[in-house]
Order: sequence, then C-alpha cells, then structure tokens
Amino acid sequence: MKNPFHTPFAAVFSNEILLNAKRVAPYVLMVLFVGNAVLWWGWGPAVANGWATNSDFYIQRNHGGFSFVLGLPIFTAILMGDIVVRDFRLGVDPLIFSKPVSRASYLLGKFLGSFFVLVCCYSVFTITLFLLQWVPFSGMVVLPVRVVPYFKHFFIIVVISHLILAAIYFAAGTLTRNAKVVYELAACYYPVYITLLLLVLMKLPRIFRILFDPMGAGKGGPVITTNPWGQSADVLNKFVVSYSLDQQVNRASQIVLSSLLLLLVYSRFRIDPMEQKSEPFTKLTLSDAPEKIAYTAPSYGSFDLPIEAAPSRERITLPKVTSTKGPATTRFQIISAMGVEFRLLRAERGLIVLVSLVMVLSFLSVPFSPIATVVSYSVTSATNTANMLLLLLSCVIVFYTGEIMHRDRELKIEPVVWSTPAPNSVLLLSKWLAMTLLSLALAWVGGLTTIVTQVIRGYTPVDVSAYLIINGVVVVPAVVFLTSFVVVLDVLLRNKYLVYVVAVGAGAGLIYLYNMGYKHWSYNPLLYQLWNYHNLTNTTMLAYRLYCFALAAACLALAHLLFERRS
Amino acid sequence: MLVIKDLTKTYCSGVQALRGVSLDLPAGVFGLLGPNGSGKTTLMKIVATLLEPDAGTVEMNGADLMTRKDHTRRMLGYLPQDFGLYPTLTAWQMLDYLAKLKGVTNRKERHTLIDVLLDRVNLSAERTQRLGGFSGGMRQRLGIAQALIGEPQLIIVDEPTAGLDPEERLRFHNLLSESASENTVVILSTHIVSDVANLCSHMAIIRKGKIISTGTPRQAVDQLKGSVWEGAVSHEQLAAFKSEFNVISVRTFDGQARVRVISKGYRPSEELTEATPVLEDYYFDLVNRQDQ
Repeated sequence: MKNPFHTPFAAVFSNEILLNAKRVAPYVLMVLFVGNAVLWWGWGPAVANGWATNSDFYIQRNHGGFSFVLGLPIFTAILMGDIVVRDFRLGVDPLIFSKPVSRASYLLGKFLGSFFVLVCCYSVFTITLFLLQWVPFSGMVVLPVRVVPYFKHFFIIVVISHLILAAIYFAAGTLTRNAKVVYELAACYYPVYITLLLLVLMKLPRIFRILFDPMGAGKGGPVITTNPWGQSADVLNKFVVSYSLDQQVNRASQIVLSSLLLLLVYSRFRIDPMEQKSEPFTKLTLSDAPEKIAYTAPSYGSFDLPIEAAPSRERITLPKVTSTKGPATTRFQIISAMGVEFRLLRAERGLIVLVSLVMVLSFLSVPFSPIATVVSYSVTSATNTANMLLLLLSCVIVFYTGEIMHRDRELKIEPVVWSTPAPNSVLLLSKWLAMTLLSLALAWVGGLTTIVTQVIRGYTPVDVSAYLIINGVVVVPAVVFLTSFVVVLDVLLRNKYLVYVVAVGAGAGLIYLYNMGYKHWSYNPLLYQLWNYHNLTNTTMLAYRLYCFALAAACLALAHLLFERRS
Repeated sequence: MLVIKDLTKTYCSGVQALRGVSLDLPAGVFGLLGPNGSGKTTLMKIVATLLEPDAGTVEMNGADLMTRKDHTRRMLGYLPQDFGLYPTLTAWQMLDYLAKLKGVTNRKERHTLIDVLLDRVNLSAERTQRLGGFSGGMRQRLGIAQALIGEPQLIIVDEPTAGLDPEERLRFHNLLSESASENTVVILSTHIVSDVANLCSHMAIIRKGKIISTGTPRQAVDQLKGSVWEGAVSHEQLAAFKSEFNVISVRTFDGQARVRVISKGYRPSEELTEATPVLEDYYFDLVNRQDQ
C-alpha cells in the first residue's frame, strides 16, 4: 500500500505549508491575535462586569467576536484567495502539471495546506487565552483551569465559519484566476452579510436560516447562545454552553457546502492559460530570412568569425526626437502613466464585479419602506450610502492599491520603467491618482445609484445638495487620505500581503477603539461616528477635513522620500 | 567612451558579486562574456543605475553615471535579462508609454518614432496585438525597440538571446549590430560565446566577479593559432588523455569522444589534427587555466 505521506497530495499540502511559513503575513497575523487575546483577557467586558474570564460563556463569546468582528473574514481572503493564482503568475504551473499529479490532489493539497496555516494562525488567539488562565490580573474572576471549552468553541465557531469562507474565496480565486475578485468579495463581506442577516434570512423560513448562515451569527446561530445582559455574573459563570440541534445542523451544513464548493472548483478547474489568445498562424514567429549579415551557424568548433562581414551592416536610422524635461513634462508623464493604469484596470473583469457590487449595495442603502427621517429621504439615503461606501472603499483601496503598487514588480516591468528618466513622482503619483480617481468614481456610481433608487421608490424630491455635501465633506477627504496612507505603507513595507494584514489589522483595531468610545478626530481621519448632516458645514468640520488632507499630503511626501528604485 | 573603475558589490547574503571590476569600453558593440553567476547581471544593473555599488565609479565621456542618475537614464537604453510587459496593452501602446516616460512629449515625433521602431523590429503587423499573446522572440524584439527610444548613447542588453530559436537569434543579432554607431556603446552581456564572436568588436571575460581577460575577439583567437588540435579518442583512452594533455573540451559524438587540446608548437598525439581556433577555445582555455 502506498505510504500516504509520499503521495502527490501530501507533497502539495506540505509545500503549501512550507511556502506560507516563509511569508511574513501569517506571523504578523499571529502577533495581532496574541495582542487581541491579551486585550480581551485583561481589559474586556469580563473584568468590567465581574464575569469569569475563563467561563464557558465568556470563552464562547470571545470566539464569536473574534471570528466575526475583527476583520477575520478579510484575513481569510488574504491567505486563501490567490493560492492557485500565484502558481500561474509565477509560471510554476507547467512544472507542476507536467508531473503525475491529479487535479484533485493538487486542488485539495493547495486548499487544505493553506487552510491548515490559516487555522494555525487563528488558533494563536485561543492558545493565548488558554495560557492566560495562569496569569490572572488583580480583581479578575478566574475559574479553575479549563481545556475543552477553548478548543470546542474554537472549532465550532472559528474553524467551521472560516472553512466555508475559505472555500468561497478559494473557488472565486481559482476559477477566475483573479485575486482582485476575491478581495472585492472580502471588501463587501460585512455589508453583504449584515444585509443578508437583517433583510433576507430574517424573512425566510427557519430551515433557510439554519442552512445559509455561514458565520452562524444570525438569530439561533451558534455564535449567540446567551444574552448576558440582565443576568447575574454568578449565573453566567456557571452557565454551560451547549449547541442545539439547529446550531449543529448549521455547522454541519457549512461543512457540506464547503465540500460542494470544492467539488465545483474541481469540476471547473482548467490548467490551460486563460488570458492568452492563440496567435494566427501567419504571425507565429515567422520572421524574415536573414538579409543583413553573413552568418554561420554556431556549431562548436566549426565556424569562422564573421568579423570581416561586420562593417557592411546597415545602421538603424531612427527619426530625430526631442526629449524634454521639467514640470510640464512631469505633468504630461503623470497623466500618461495614469492613462496606462486606467487602461490596465479597464481590461480586468474585477472592475465589473466591483461596480456591480457598489450598485447593489447602494440600492440596498435606500430604505425599503417609507420611514420617519431626521431631515429628508435624500439625507438618510446619502448618509447610508456614504457609511456603506466608506467601509467598502476602505477595503478596496487597501487591496487595489497593493495590487497596483506591486504589479510592475510581479510582471517584471520595473527594470524597464525604472531605467527611464521619468522622476519618482511620476511613478508614484500616477498610481495614487489612478486609485483615488477610481475610488471617487465608485463613490459617484454609488451616489447616482442611490438617487435613481430614491426616484424609483418615489421618495422625492431628491436633494442633490445633500449628496454633494456628504460626499464632498466625508467621502472625498477619506478616500484621499486612505489612498495616500496605503501608498506609503506599500512603499515602506514592500510586501503587499504584509500591507494587507497591517492595514486591515490597523483598521479593525481602530474601529474597536472607536466603538469603545476613543474616537478623537486626531486619530479618526474618516470621522467614524463623529459626523451628522447638520455639522458637516460648520468650520470645525472643515478644519477636520483640512487636517485629513494635510495627513494625506504628509503620507505622499513620506512615500516620495522613501521610494527607491532598488532592484 | 565608458570607463568602469574598481566596481565592487557584495549582496546582503554575503555573495561577492563584483570584486574590483575595471573596464574601458570604446564605441561599438562590447561583449561581456561569462558563465552563469559570474556577476554580469550585477554589473549591468549597476551601469543601468538600478543597483548601488559598494565602491567604484562608472563614467561616460567624463560624466559620472552613478551620481547623475537622471542624466544617465536620458542616454540609456536598457534591455534587462528577464523583463515583462503589460499583457493587456498592445505593442504600440507599450512603446508609446515608455517613449513618454523617456520624455518624448511631442505627439507627432513620438508616433513617427514608434512606427519606425515597430517596422525595424518587424512588428508592424502586430502593432495592435496584445502583448500577452507575443512569443519569446517577439517580446525580445519589442524589448530592443524600447531600448532604442530616445537615441541612447549607452545601450545595455543583458542575455538577450537566451531561449531564442536560431532564426530569432539571428534577427536579434542584426538589430543589435544595426544599433551601434561611432557615438554609441552597446554592452552585450551573454554566456553564449558565438554571440560575442558574431557581434562584438571588443570583449571582456568575467568570472567569479573578476575580469579575467579583455581585448578583441580577433586578438583572442590569434593567440591560439597553431595551438589547437582536434580528434576522436575512445572513452577508455580519455582519462589518460586528460592527464597527459591540456584538454580544453570533450564532446561525445557517435560513441567516441571528440577532444580539443591546446598544445603550443608540437602535435600532441597521432590521433589529433590541427584545428582552426575559435573563440570558444580561448574561453575554455582561459577558464581551465583559472581553475588550475
């Protein structure tokens, strides 16, 4: 019988672990999760409310929050989205597929190898909480040491929830061979899932709620089993969490759905290149016969040097051109380079998906039925759209800027572009401008969709000035700042996966801080929970926005300073 | 025209890529010959301003290329060893973009230049074809076309013919020799000896980060006139042959070993006859002597 450790599957699986072990991103994730565990252990609601920090209830609660709130669905996309795409991008695919490895071994080995690494990263949170049982802080209630609840809740809440997400991202990345599609799915995860919970699943029969709630965070799902408010700490500390039949079916259904998705990937996966069109026969390297020089085939030891023939060669005469430099040329070059960026963006199907997502989410931002509004329907709809777009655009900016900034290196175009006399500002600003304008165009599409939806639903009159004010004061400066911030991160860290992890981690951490009440404008450039329609036009708000632009300018200046044409 | 003095470069990994490289390059095609990993690409990258040396200088007509990077890039045409192209752009769009980055802002001039360049590299018919569908040879030809934008005085081509079929290789040789003039230095870095033999008026051999020989291909071959012997020996005789004579290369052919031997002034064995020396003999002889 064949040794299972010597099968192609085992080779692909272990190689995937090896590749991930050499990346920085998983380690940064682990550090983030250790910090998160320590924070929730020492300064979480347990200490404030007298709950035991290792009670079954609190362990389950922590894992529910960890799995859902802290950007984990996005981290899953970062680690699972491009594992097959990478092989095609690096040109390793012919080396692998010319070996006797089946599609099933390859795909399953890739998926399970990366998912194993993902689970290892996430388990750091659980292991840290488990170890912290021996480090009680003063005034903290700690029950006798527990083992099983940590790993039980980790498996049921975190592992299974992210198994289905990983399968979705893996399927999207592998079948489209486009990492951006995966990142777009990750970017719209929160708005889509929350909409699904609030607007779709709630209205469907119980069986649908059980089967189609991947994270289990909906009503009756395994994440929320206890409402702690109104119950004494003593009761909660003694509470034993058990999962009902519905909750068990929900988890089992996610495993089945993941398997079905993997089966779909298996049936649809092709190893042939997707983009390359076959050339017509007449164009296939049928170059002209030699005319200019006498040439002897260089077979070893039998050719003569054609040195005498060399002087008769005709020289290329190219038309004279004028090379210019100065601010006007730089401006011209920035616009040209930006044009190329847009041309490259336009050729991707990821953009079509993105625009569609923005339109769907904007459509959902308009209330479905007439409700009491604070100022007007336009203000309510524009506010909803702006909040939703800010969340979506933040993720889009992180991932798209990362791809744009690192694309030239991945395509090996850097040495060609870097050897031109174009200043560094051209290389940086063209990408920054392209990303900023793309984000603003998406915001514009979102706003327009909301206006049209408002008209269709009959919530007239449409107050266009509300849209202009909210977008102008809230969305535009936020987009400018975010793009500049991500550009400087990309220049500084030089590794896009590291940038993704750091940016998403920082974003999740800041949102956590803001929700805890620490939302001062100095470290809240997106003005999260700091604005309403009435205060948008006062001078304080304008000063905040100027500050935001100043931060953006500082980021760009820093990026320019740190940018090096380092081969 | 181009003077390289005492260039040294050690990578963070501890690999000493260049150990005091000095060269004086006249106008014309200059061949830099060396095995894989000898430091050719490092030297090319330094001259192309994409890598900082630890020490040493590079001057062209008296101007320091290392400190005046913008000036250098204005007169530089660079074709890297392993380069990519935007797969969704067309050949014309790619050249247009790079011409703009080189500062060719006049629309009419730029368009004429691109048309002529595409014509010269025989890609006019493929001008609107996406680069993702280009063959290796077509990509290399487009690569040389972009290196010729803006009348460069210094053209660097790094291993340009590796992986090309014979016809494409010949086409590339033609293009390169046509690009040279009395005001242009073309540096051809390669590990293929016949590329240097066919194209270069001057050459240098680099090995383990050091220049071990400079001169012209003609001078190199002339040094071996009357000293190269060739013949077939059985595999059983080979070991004894190698220990007795200066065997520079062995090639198995038709079940026998065809050896080439350097022997100055006398015929080393009855089995061998005098052969016309070629540049490969010089290269192997030099490398063998270095190894000893």
